[in-house]
This record gives sequence, structure tokens and C-alpha cells, in this order.
Amino acid sequence: MSKSDLHQPGISRRDLLSAAAAASGALVVGFWMPQRAAADGIDPAGAAWARKPAVDEVNAWVVVAPDDTVTIRIAQTELGQGVWTSNAMMVCEELQCDWSKVRPQYASANRDAREMAPEWTLNVMGNGATDPTGGGEPEFGDRSRTGIEGIPDSLYRRMRTNAAASVKDGRYYLQLAGAEARERLLLAAAKSWGVPVEEVTSANSVITHGPTGRTNTYGQVAALAAHTPHPHPEQIRIKSPSQWTLMGTEQKNLDVPLKVSGKTIYGIDVRLPGMKWAAVKSCPVYGGTVKRFDFERIRNEPGIRSAIQFPIPDAALIRGRVFGGGVAVIADSWYQAKSALEKMPIEWDVPAKYAAVNTAGIRASLMAAIDKPGKVRVNVGDCNSAFASGAKLVEATYSTPYLPRARMEPGNATVLVTDNRVDIWIGDQSPQETRYSASQITGIPETNVYVHLCHLGGGFGRNGNGPQAEQALYIANHNRGTPIHLLWTREEDFINTTYRAMGVARLRAALDADGWPVALEARVAMDEKAPGIVASFDKAARYHVPNYRFSTHTETFHIPVGTRRGVGQPANDYYRESFMNELAHAAGKDPYLYRRGLISRTSLPYKADMIKALDIAAEMSGWGQPLPQGMARAIALEERGGEAGGQATISAQVHTVSISKQGELRLERVDVAHEEGFSLVNPLSVRKQIEGQITWFYNDAMHQQSNVKDGRMVENNFDTFPLSRLKENPPEINITFFKTGHWLRGMGHDRGTSIQSAVADAVFQITGKRYRDLPFRNHDLTWS
Amino acid sequence: MAYTIQVNHVQRTVDVDGEMPLLWVLRDELNLKGPKLGCGAGLCGACTVHLDGQATRSCITPISSVGNSAVVTIEAMADDPVGKKLQAAWMELDVPQCGYCQSGMIMSVVALLNKRPNPTDAEIDAEITNACRCSTYHRIRQAIHLAAAKMSVQGRAL
Repeated sequence: MSKSDLHQPGISRRDLLSAAAAASGALVVGFWMPQRAAADGIDPAGAAWARKPAVDEVNAWVVVAPDDTVTIRIAQTELGQGVWTSNAMMVCEELQCDWSKVRPQYASANRDAREMAPEWTLNVMGNGATDPTGGGEPEFGDRSRTGIEGIPDSLYRRMRTNAAASVKDGRYYLQLAGAEARERLLLAAAKSWGVPVEEVTSANSVITHGPTGRTNTYGQVAALAAHTPHPHPEQIRIKSPSQWTLMGTEQKNLDVPLKVSGKTIYGIDVRLPGMKWAAVKSCPVYGGTVKRFDFERIRNEPGIRSAIQFPIPDAALIRGRVFGGGVAVIADSWYQAKSALEKMPIEWDVPAKYAAVNTAGIRASLMAAIDKPGKVRVNVGDCNSAFASGAKLVEATYSTPYLPRARMEPGNATVLVTDNRVDIWIGDQSPQETRYSASQITGIPETNVYVHLCHLGGGFGRNGNGPQAEQALYIANHNRGTPIHLLWTREEDFINTTYRAMGVARLRAALDADGWPVALEARVAMDEKAPGIVASFDKAARYHVPNYRFSTHTETFHIPVGTRRGVGQPANDYYRESFMNELAHAAGKDPYLYRRGLISRTSLPYKADMIKALDIAAEMSGWGQPLPQGMARAIALEERGGEAGGQATISAQVHTVSISKQGELRLERVDVAHEEGFSLVNPLSVRKQIEGQITWFYNDAMHQQSNVKDGRMVENNFDTFPLSRLKENPPEINITFFKTGHWLRGMGHDRGTSIQSAVADAVFQITGKRYRDLPFRNHDLTWS
Repeated sequence: MAYTIQVNHVQRTVDVDGEMPLLWVLRDELNLKGPKLGCGAGLCGACTVHLDGQATRSCITPISSVGNSAVVTIEAMADDPVGKKLQAAWMELDVPQCGYCQSGMIMSVVALLNKRPNPTDAEIDAEITNACRCSTYHRIRQAIHLAAAKMSVQGRAL
């Protein structure tokens, strides 16, 4: 194309790049290691980042080798939810390759900065959430260089892993990518045989010419396919679930074999020739920084190279979250760096207003905020009149504490900055954001930034990735040419993370003579920067009530807050479902039938699915059958998107709980009714997520709490911040799936919130005591 | 100071401070990345290795205390009769999610099965205290019973 083509109307830069890429059969930009010293040995089998393939790609998601090995590019981060496999399934369903020869590989965030998405991937076909033949309702935010919302038209578009949306947002174009690759392989085969492409089909990587029975394999035609453009990719259509042969079947997760062998390279395991390690201490009071430190005291400790003070990380780069400044010690090994750092005197400069903050004060502020008008989000009917009418009133105030993500792998990042390039190896849920940070901190353009993704040792909330990348980038930028591996201790990880904000909620209802609510008011108070405050209550009451008001009330605190698994759902579900139990008890009605009756009176689009979930869970659990003394059942509805009629995920759980007279609580059994939507992608991963989330939120309900004292978080390791262990796991978990008439919203993060309200109600049923403040380890559960 | 220890059946010599935890000797001096840092305080078990067959939290075990004890890590489990069966059971039931805790978890379970080839749930509860944040405990328990059943079917106690 000539230079003048750039200025022709009707040819966009995107078209030029796509055409150029297709014409040249673009090679992958692969893994790069510094050319220095003998390699220290990273086991290549355990490394998941992009490698330069020996062959040309068919498209940006699919590489086929001559031996039929298929490499699928994965643009989300594997953190235990199974995207390494389910993303590959979405492509391979359409590709129709031999699944046993598929190996995933992380997509390149660098290419995503250089290339645009092919035009044919941008259009969502079909009629939205209730169309099984269509692409559903993916959501892309405004195009933003920070990548916070994903970038709608960059090559890999949404590379963030959050909001349980990997399937919802990616499915349709991953299917398109697989279909486009398949069609081009067929075109190549047809071309090589000199036959019409309509006579050629494929399955399991084998291409067959119908009339003659001739066969070939994908591997044999892939090189030709790489240079065979599709004449009309915009006409490609994706399969609907009734046509699926791979999606919807239980598939073992492809990352598991290395994980059971200890061979997976997590970010913490990255090791490069010439690498130095950095141990870090950040000011434990957010917003504070280093006043002075005395490096001379440790200069001669073994292996010590240097120390560097880093400033408070730029809040603009971490979505406004304010962490502390700190100091890093750089050494030949991490243990040397950490040991020396512990001996190095550091004086902190702490703003007095922050140092005065503690949990009681925050709680008091939130309670005061609840009494103010707040921001009214929903107002149906006239609650004030209903409350003044003399009907029976039920009121309850609940609270949930600050909670960190506490993923098993402490924060870390490996960064190499040279004068014209940045490489960062990291487990990270938002590589486009990290790429942007790298560019901002080093001044090197994003097109020269390479984010090499590693599997994450736990995710639990995108923002909670904290500033480890930013700290490492700052340090490496001041040590250009030397790879820097930054690793936090567990104590540092508790400091350098965003927290789910503490919440307080007051719910009030007026009941008529039959015990049905005639008015319901919900007030939720959190830090104004906390995401998800409107979950579970917004838009419409899930349980019918003619007068309904929902308002949010915010204050500002200096504790950095962000998304943690479930975002706003876990706290708000706890308040809502707990209050429904309290109303049912006040009305003298069965909590399952109470819910059922109220939902059926709504005009919610998915009320039938909600009722079905409750019915199935109740039946599975033997609801209504007598239990021995000291045992109780509680039920809860879990839904996300249940009010809107778009993509939604609806489930219900019944928890059977026992409490000994000495107050030992045991989760005995969980019965789960979970919708599949039109279909799940990998039902095995869905089961694993449900199982894991039950215990995850049990942990929240029973144990987890982060307190603030003198402006800093108190709990900083697993002695004061207990994690549930195997012995607490329920001995029995039963899961029943049922299909519905819409696409699922996602289920990676809010499928166990019901345990919280269930425990609260079981405690009430067994002990007679009603506790409303999580966690339950703070409460006396004895009874007689 | 020089320390010679037996790691995965091979003598290895390192020159480090005696207080350096075995975890960091294994990971950074010997490049065995299987054992992980979870807490650095012996509270989570991600660092679990065997010392003479006993499950040991290597993050709080100074190298100077190892002496002649045989150190075995997850890397040796593929060649270990019990380890191999356990890894097979882990794969059959697709146990891991993020997988970060699993090196230590598997080492703890191998140590248990070597002592109690067919453990009860109560014995499992008491012995396996490793933290798994993803909470894969449901499948861990099933996989332990699966591996134990396969081992006894083949008539092998070890």
C-alpha cells in the first residue's frame, strides 16, 4: 500500500493493519531473555508466556504446527477459575481441532498495543442475552489507554480478568476467531486440492473432501492457511449451544498436570540471568512515606547492593488508591535483601490525620452516614407513609469488616528496563493497565512494553493486584539493564493491597397483618471509593414490596479500597438475605416459602428461574424434614443481574449447619441449585468454583476481619487472620444444574455469598441469638 | 558458611548464612521452585517439604538445623511410589485451582499416607492443616481417599 493510501477516505488504520497482518502472516513476538550470562534455567515447560512459534499463526488466537499441535492464545489470566482451558474451548469448539493436541499460551500485551482487532471480531451478532444463536451481551468500556475497562478494539480487546466476565465478554469473538481460522484452513485445503470449499469439511483436525474421501490434516495446510485470507469474515456465524460438541462437556484443566508436579512458573518463580532481588517495606499507614533511612548500617551485609526510596505510587496509575511510599533493598538473593532490610533503621513520615484512624471511628462515621439522606437509588411508592402507618416494624443493622484478598502468592514482579524497552514478568489480572503503568513510569512507549503473564497464585479481585508492578517498575527504572525481582513478605502483602471496604447496612420493613412486607427500606454505607455498593438492591426489589427505597451513604477514608471477590455482592447479599430471614421469622413463615411467595409476586423477568432455583435447592436438602437439636437449615437466593433481564446468574443454596452446646459451628452440608443459562462452557470448572466459593465465603462469615488501628491495618499474617482449613470443609456438597433461557453473566466470584446469611440464621435458630456483625468468631455461639 | 545437605537423594553443597531458611536454600540456591513462600512464618504450609519423611515447613527451618536429614521436595514426587499415585489422583479429580498451595499440600498428604495408608476423615482433618485459599478441600479429601483406595487395591502399603 502506498503512503497516499493512508489518507484515502474509507480506509481506516485498523483496515491497514489487519490487511498487513493477514498479508504477511504475522509472526508472534515471543519471549525475550537478556543476552547475558549462562541461563540459570527456567524450566520452559512451566512457563506460560508467549514463545516465538516455529510456524506462522493462522490468526492472532490460533497457531497450528505441522504435527497438528494447536496453540491457542489466552488473553485472560489463569488464577484457578479455569480460563486457560475454557478460553481455549471457546476457540476450539469452532476450530474443530483435535482437543488432545491443544496447548494454551498467553497472548502478548505488546501486540495488543501495536495491533488493532480485526474488524470482523467487533460486531456482536444476535439479539442479546436471550438469543441462543447470538453473542450475548458483552460489555466494553470506553476506549482508554489505561486499559481499566479493557480496550474495545485493540487486538486482544479485553485482557483484564475481572467481574467474572471472561465468558460473557469473550465468548462470541473467541468463537469467531476459532471459526475464522477453521474456514481459512478449509479454504487452504480446497485451494491445494483445486476443489470448491463447499465440498470440504473438518473434524478433529482432519479435513475431508466429501466427494472423493481425500483427507488432510490442519498441520499440513496451516502454512498455506496463514497466507490465505478469508474473503468475507464478517459473514461468519458462531455455533449455538445445540451444536456444541466440546463446550458444555467436562474437560480436565490443561494447567493441572504441571501444577501437581510443582513445575508451574508463577511470578514468584521467575528467574533471569543477572537478576537481583528487591525486598520492600512500605509505610504501613497509607499516605505516609519515608522520612529517612540509614543504608550505611546494612551496606556491608552479605550480598547487599543498594537501597532506593520509592515515592508514594502514583494514584492515577492505581485507580486512585493511595498506598504508602517506602524503601527497597536490592541484593544478590531475596533472603539477603529481606534480612538486611529488617535491620535497616527506617523513620516514617506519617500524616497525623491518617494515624488517628481506627475501626471504631470508621464504624461510627458509617453509622452517622446511614442517618443522613444519602443518595437515593431506587424509590418506589411511599415508604415514609407506610412506615408511619402503624404496621409492625422490623429493623436490623448489619456490618461487614474490611477484608483483604490474601491470595496465597505474595505480591511480586520481575522487571527489566533498558533505554528502549520494558519487560515485566508478573501474575496480573490487568496486563493492559500494567503496560500503561510501565510506560508512564519509564517513559518508554507502550509499543515497547512487554507484559509476560504468569499463572497467578490466586486472584480474588483485580484491583487488589496492588502496586507491586508499580514499585518494581520504579526500582528497575533506576537500575536500567538489571532485571529486578521484587517480592513482598506476607506482612507487606497485607499492607500493599486494596481492601474490600467495611460496610454498614440498615434495613427496615413494615409488615402487614399477614406478615408480608408493605414497605422495605435499605440503606448501605461504605467508603465512597468502594465499588459495587449498589449490588443486590439496585433497580428493583428482588422480593415483592409495594413501597421500596434503596439509598447509599458514603464517607471517605484513607484505607485503599477496591474490588475483592464478588465486589459488592457478598456484603449486600448478606444484608439482604439475612433480613429476609428475619422478616420470615417475624411473620412466623417458612423462609423458603416466604421468599418463593414474594418473588412470584414481582414482575422480574427471571422470577421463574429464581423460584426454580429455590425449589430445587429446597428439595435437594430435604427442606422441612426434621433435624436433630443443634442443627438447622437456611436458604438463600444468589443472583447477579436478576433484576435486569440481561445476562444473569441465578442460584440458590441451602446450608445445613450444626452448633454444639459449646459453640462449635460446623457446616455439615450444602445443596446448590445453579443455572447453566443456555449452557456452561466447562461444567467441571463451574463445579470447582462452586465448591471453592462455599468455603471461601464461609471463611469470611466465620473468621476474616481486618482492623484499623493508628491508621494502619492490624492483621498481617495468618495467625491473626485465620484461613479456613480442610477440617472445616462441609463433608457433603450437592450440586444440581438446570438450564434457563438466557446467557449466564458469570460465576467466578459470587456463588457462595449465601453461606453468610445462612450461618447467621442457623445461629439464631439453634442458639436463639441474633448476631448481625461479621465475622462470627467474635460472637458467643454457646447454647443450652 | 558451607552446608552439605541431601536433597532429593543427591548431596548438594551451598555457601550461605546458617539462619537462611531451607525454603530459600531450595528455591534460590538450588533452583528448586516447587516449595513456595506463602507466609514465611510456618502458618500456611505452602513451603512443606519432607525431612526424613516428616512433613516440615521449610520457611522456618534454618539450613543449619538440617544436618544429615534427607530433604525431599515436590520435584521428587513423580518418582515416588506414593507421590505418583497421589499426583494421579489429583489429576483424575482435577483438584488444583490456582495450584500455588498444592506443592506443599501434596507433600503433607504423602507424609500422611506413608504413616497411615488408609486414613479416616478425622485423621486427614488432624494431619492436613495446609491452607488452600481457593479452598479446593472438597476434592483434596476425595483425592486422598481415591489414592488410598488404589494403593490398597494394589496391595502396597507404601
